[in-house]
Amino acid sequence: MMALRLARPEHLVDLNGVTELDSVQAIDGLLRIGAMTRQFVVGADSTVADQVPLLALATPYIGHFQIRNRGTVGGSVAHADPSAEYPTVVVALDAELEVSSTRGTRRIGAAEFFEGPMMTALGPDELLTAIRFPVWAGRSGFSFREVSRRHGDFALVGVAVGIELDESTTIRRAAIALLGVEGRPRRAPDAEAALVGTAISAVDAGEMGRLALKPLRATDDIHASAEYRRRVGAHLVSQAVEEACRRASEVDGD
Amino acid sequence: MTDHDAAGGGAARFVGQSIKRVEDPRLVTGHGRYVDDIVLPGMLHAAFLRSDYARARIAMVDISRATAMAGVHAVFTAAELNHHVDSLAASVNPRDAPKTPAHVLAAGDVRFVGDPIALVLADSRYLAEDALELIDIEYEPLTPVIDFESAADSVDLVHPELGSNLGSSVSSVDSNLSAVFAAAETVITETFHQHRQCNMPMETRGIVAHWEPFAGRLDVWASTQSPHELTATAARILGLGQHQVRVHMGDVGGAFGQKIFVGREEMALLLAARDVARPVKWIEDRRENLIAANSARVDRVKVSMAVNGDGVILGAQIDHLTDSGAYPNGGKPASGSNMVSMFPGPYRMSNLGWTTATVYTNTLGRGAYRGPWQMETVARELMMDRVAAEIGVDPLEFRRRNIISEDELPYTTATGRVYENITPSETLEQAVSMLDYEQFRIQQSDARSVGRLLGVGISACIEPTSAGRGALGSEGATVRVERDGNVNVFIGTGSHGQSLETTIAQVVADQLGISMDSISFHQGHGTPYGFGTGGSRSAVIAGGAARAAAIGVREKILSIAAELLEAASADLGIEDGFVSVAGTPSRRVSLAVVANTAYSDPEALPDGIEGGLEHAARFQAPPVTYSNATHVCTCEVDPATGLVTILRYIVSEDCGVMVNPMVVEGQIAGGVVQGIGGALYEEARYDLDGNPLTTTLMDYLIPTAAEVPLIEYGHIVTPSNTPGGHKGVGEGGAIAAPPCVLNAVNDALACMNVNLTHLAATPDAIVTALAAALA
Amino acid sequence: MTDPIEVAMVVNGAEHVAAVEARKTLADFLREDCLTTGVHLGCEQGACGACTVILDGQAVRSCLLFAVQASGSAVTTAEGLAGADGSLNVVQEAFRECHGLQCGFCTPGLVVTVTAYLADHPDPGRDEIRSALSGNLCRCTGYQGIIAAVEQAAVIAALQGGIS
Repeated sequence: MMALRLARPEHLVDLNGVTELDSVQAIDGLLRIGAMTRQFVVGADSTVADQVPLLALATPYIGHFQIRNRGTVGGSVAHADPSAEYPTVVVALDAELEVSSTRGTRRIGAAEFFEGPMMTALGPDELLTAIRFPVWAGRSGFSFREVSRRHGDFALVGVAVGIELDESTTIRRAAIALLGVEGRPRRAPDAEAALVGTAISAVDAGEMGRLALKPLRATDDIHASAEYRRRVGAHLVSQAVEEACRRASEVDGD
Repeated sequence: MTDHDAAGGGAARFVGQSIKRVEDPRLVTGHGRYVDDIVLPGMLHAAFLRSDYARARIAMVDISRATAMAGVHAVFTAAELNHHVDSLAASVNPRDAPKTPAHVLAAGDVRFVGDPIALVLADSRYLAEDALELIDIEYEPLTPVIDFESAADSVDLVHPELGSNLGSSVSSVDSNLSAVFAAAETVITETFHQHRQCNMPMETRGIVAHWEPFAGRLDVWASTQSPHELTATAARILGLGQHQVRVHMGDVGGAFGQKIFVGREEMALLLAARDVARPVKWIEDRRENLIAANSARVDRVKVSMAVNGDGVILGAQIDHLTDSGAYPNGGKPASGSNMVSMFPGPYRMSNLGWTTATVYTNTLGRGAYRGPWQMETVARELMMDRVAAEIGVDPLEFRRRNIISEDELPYTTATGRVYENITPSETLEQAVSMLDYEQFRIQQSDARSVGRLLGVGISACIEPTSAGRGALGSEGATVRVERDGNVNVFIGTGSHGQSLETTIAQVVADQLGISMDSISFHQGHGTPYGFGTGGSRSAVIAGGAARAAAIGVREKILSIAAELLEAASADLGIEDGFVSVAGTPSRRVSLAVVANTAYSDPEALPDGIEGGLEHAARFQAPPVTYSNATHVCTCEVDPATGLVTILRYIVSEDCGVMVNPMVVEGQIAGGVVQGIGGALYEEARYDLDGNPLTTTLMDYLIPTAAEVPLIEYGHIVTPSNTPGGHKGVGEGGAIAAPPCVLNAVNDALACMNVNLTHLAATPDAIVTALAAALA
Repeated sequence: MTDPIEVAMVVNGAEHVAAVEARKTLADFLREDCLTTGVHLGCEQGACGACTVILDGQAVRSCLLFAVQASGSAVTTAEGLAGADGSLNVVQEAFRECHGLQCGFCTPGLVVTVTAYLADHPDPGRDEIRSALSGNLCRCTGYQGIIAAVEQAAVIAALQGGIS
């Protein structure tokens, strides 16, 4: 933002020395990741890959490896770019954001956190300190897909999908979150509801894509029109739903 | 031995070999010297205040707060600088060329977003930019002229003093054409558009200038393609003699035509330098480079082509319009003459009528960009596929029926160009053979049956290189052997990635029988006049000059050595820095001894030979030296996303005798990837109010390593008429590649009834076209 | 204007201490205060990679960092990859062998990126190489020589027991 001369803060606080914020902890059925944890760590950590596969799937899409060396998960989430990957995972999984100030600590739910492009529910004196990702313990499969102009570019449109099955082949839980369509990541409740209770073999992935995009109002910019984002978004949803279902069905029942 | 063939008197040890570059050790270790690396005591740093409006009156500009800021040394506006400059014209412009108004800085009104209004000189760039924020300015916005297709009819004038937005308009009627069209089996008309692109060299523009009043001398360092053009312009606008200006040529980080002429910002810096008599530096940042350096390729061509029942082209009419922006580089509006005269390309086309015009708009000025006329190849090659589809003939077959082959040479085109020593048909056949075109058509059909869209595209071009007219027509070189036998070469070029430090040394080393390590290469101050580096001219013209100068020195070396060795010149050869008698290697003398004799021992010189050991030569190029190529590529288009993946990219080219094959392939590759960028990724966009929308490299998208295929090369060698047999090749990749890629995309989409006539073929454009075709 | 802040960092093995404004970028500090002008500014927006340096073992964009953020760290630039005797490191040598540069402006950032990359990924396939290079823009070469150089450097580094 500063390099683009869009922001000129009077004071800048460098958090790189606050090492307590760089952490990955498994606690009570969720994974708590400190805000200063580097993106390349999130992408490479085996605990993360095991407990929150969507983060591992999304990370390679973030910019280039030099960016991921310095970029942090908290930075990405607090910056809230509508095309960013981590905010989409946060929204897909209904993660909770841990936020601190001199007034104390509070938690904000994913659905309330992202308010618009580059806008979050963080108060002016608040710092995002950690993100608590729910862990899907059952037979689950995930997919993350996005389309960009060139390798490593900001996504034009993308989707994060999670599918959890019951003991047989019926979908018990579904999460679909879209990036790049509106000014913040959006869930697809109609498509999710249609998936729950459906057998994998009966899933109409194309219809899920259509349902997911129907209520959304897409944006135009120089890289893609609103119509492009809608069409391709629907296509990616259908691909990701198919892939997540397949991965879920390949998991051995415990 | 004084035969002047391609190797001159010596064995061709270096010319023709892929010699590793002399430039590389310093460049790979970060020890190159680019203009921003120049640091001088007391140097001041510049920043420009630029217009936020495409067209507006400046109601008020107040520099007093900026001038008063600590660390600021001077602030200049049009009031202080403009009166020194009566013309922005490049020194090589034809005398009768139209001229854009000579406003170095915006004077009373602004004419494009980015138009420079004020120049601040401060202790650092950081402070200079701080000072920009203290300049108070009020604009009265006016309606801008943004759409080049309606600019000529607009009542709003980009340059009121010119009275019209029409920069120029030329036409030529072919009196046979209407009869040809009337009698033709088929006449097809199509209009093609190419969009705005930017040269986008990795190094932006920049200049350091230092005027020393008591020495009466101006020293200049710049990111330039032409040190001599900069010398001439600096002298002209400062009222100096050219002998008072020293342009020091260092390393230059690419240009592709952007840095051949002197821009308004550089002129402002030079004027400011004279005023403050301290070193001043301006380094452009990337945003400025994208909105204010130059843009290119805004072209529209309507083509009507007539073919007979055998699929033979009978003639064409082309109507061309291009956008010159507000301040085209070089101080004159764009010329379409190369575009129209090259339109026939490598095909037989007996009749051609044409019109070409250019307009001014309130946008970034047009500048030269690698093959500035290349819309002829873009439109022609797209039209070839369009016509082929219309008459139901495979695009390869259609080209085969019309392409010129060696046995038809010399061939005179409908526009009066005479082709010699080219191989269009031969490169076409080599390229499609390398692909195995028939096999690809089978693969394409199989892929289509499983819903995958593959396509193949062809593009053939003739490249007019080494234009030998006027100031561009010759280059001079001086080759001097120093007293220790090592060699200095002085040449008027401006190498900015073309590897001339290596290739010129190859030429000289071959002639003088020495190693490349013995040669030092000099550009800029102290070199003979030359236009600089661009227009694919260096191998022929600069190479020709270096060769001639080296041969002159060689002859003198042999004469002196003959005297020292008491042998006949004709019996001597030079190898590894020693002149020896053929057959008696022990009878030899080193170049150092020859040189020392030449400088210090006049008694020992043969009669009629003067002292010293250097030779200056100027090589006059023939009017033009043609090279040619055919590009073939295959791609896959994902119909769901519109993403295009290029699978194979093949170039069959004939650039005559290659000085350094590695360098030739590198030049082709760079041009091809720029062409891929232009076809699929790069778009410099403006909104309807003339605000540039692509001001960062995250918006102006050049290909990365992940987007490019492996490029495959086929080389055909047909020597030119010039002494080395060389031809230019630097621009060809960027000329032929864009239509090659778009033809492949269209070929993939043909089964879906989609045919794109506008570049760029973005994912959005493809998905939108597919949706429309299905509707 | 803020008071200057003292920074100390090791650049190419040599200690540099200076007082700089908080807003001075690491790239400008390296170029102006440490005289490593091989760090090139192609965009100052983090998009082109020409300013890439190795900071505490990782390839980063020096135009997106402030000098003060790197205080206490070790930085390596392209100048620091060559030997004191002028010998090129295996990546630099491969770039020369494979014609991986023309104007040279993107080259120091690329050489640094590739050195860092091969240290962590000694045996990359061609597509992995393309992805790894996608954050460094080049306008002259069309990347052909660069990709070949990375492949060659990987092979030679493996024979020598790794990137030094």
